[in-house]
Amino acid sequence: MDIQTLTLALGDSTHTGRTFDVMPISGDEPVLQVTVSGAEETPVYLTVTDTQILCLVYLFDEQELNPDRLNELHENMLRISVPMPLSALGKTGDHYVVYGALSPTSGTAEIMQELVTLAENAIDLLQTFEDYLA
Amino acid sequence: MRTVLKKILTAMRGGVNELGEAVVDGQGNRILEQELRDSEHELKQAKQELAALMAESASLARQIRSEQDSASKREQDARKAIAAGQEDLAREVAERIVGHERRGAELTQTRELLQQRIAGLKDRVQRAEKQLADYRRELQVVKTNERVLRTTAQIDTNINSQQSSLSTAKDTLERIRERQAREEDRQTASAALEKELTGADLDEKLKAAGIDGEQDAVNNVLARLKDSPAQ
Repeated sequence: MDIQTLTLALGDSTHTGRTFDVMPISGDEPVLQVTVSGAEETPVYLTVTDTQILCLVYLFDEQELNPDRLNELHENMLRISVPMPLSALGKTGDHYVVYGALSPTSGTAEIMQELVTLAENAIDLLQTFEDYLA
Repeated sequence: MRTVLKKILTAMRGGVNELGEAVVDGQGNRILEQELRDSEHELKQAKQELAALMAESASLARQIRSEQDSASKREQDARKAIAAGQEDLAREVAERIVGHERRGAELTQTRELLQQRIAGLKDRVQRAEKQLADYRRELQVVKTNERVLRTTAQIDTNINSQQSSLSTAKDTLERIRERQAREEDRQTASAALEKELTGADLDEKLKAAGIDGEQDAVNNVLARLKDSPAQ
């Protein structure tokens, strides 16, 4: 699966009643910003490497968090990461992210499933962890 | 692998990576890739050498068997010569037998040394294969890490160029709440519309005013029945 094929496929597909708005992010790396209908606030960023298709959503940045409750938040993030469908929690730079990795041989149906799940998970996580914001 | 993971974590914690610079720099990456190529090369060479040694060992085994066969054949000849009283001939054959036996013993010794080298080489091949798998896994981690950093840096630059700043989690939550409220309103409105269309809301209002169409109908039937009692 490559970025071009995916852009074309997502543009005119629906998955469980969702549509996808795809925008390439300019730069050296092939990155797409995918907005899932009904979860527009949490765009999913997608990139394809040799070994995986990586999808991620930004949740919050470190400086947005209440520093006194950071340990508690981390503990809860680790715990919730396991049962959360198709997604895991992580951190890259200052960004806390929810992400999912797929095999590069995945089809569009699997990718759409991942995108919808990830965008919805991001909304649920933001609302769940709202109390930890500074 | 442990070294690579530790390097990545140390660099991350040190904030080296704020701008998405590669943690294990390009140089480090090239070294890993070179090590990978070296390992692959070594593995290929070792396998070729192994194949050659195994062929040589098989050939030696054949030669040893042939010397042994010749020796036992000559032994029969020698016995026959002794039985015929041909002592000189028997001695000559015995000399040949000694030759075969010596060559057989020499070849066996050579083959034993060869077998030792084969065993050592097999061990080397196995180790090289394991190391190759390790390098590949390490390289994958390093490359994925770099890719994630470059990707997020690219996303940040892009978002920053579109908006004055990255939207905060609080803004996002606000927008989520607004949408959820809109959806709720829409659902309430469509439920109200449905009631209106089916007349359910009117029935409710009539009932509330003590006007119940259903009750009236029952009362009418009862009144009719009372007006025409059974004959």
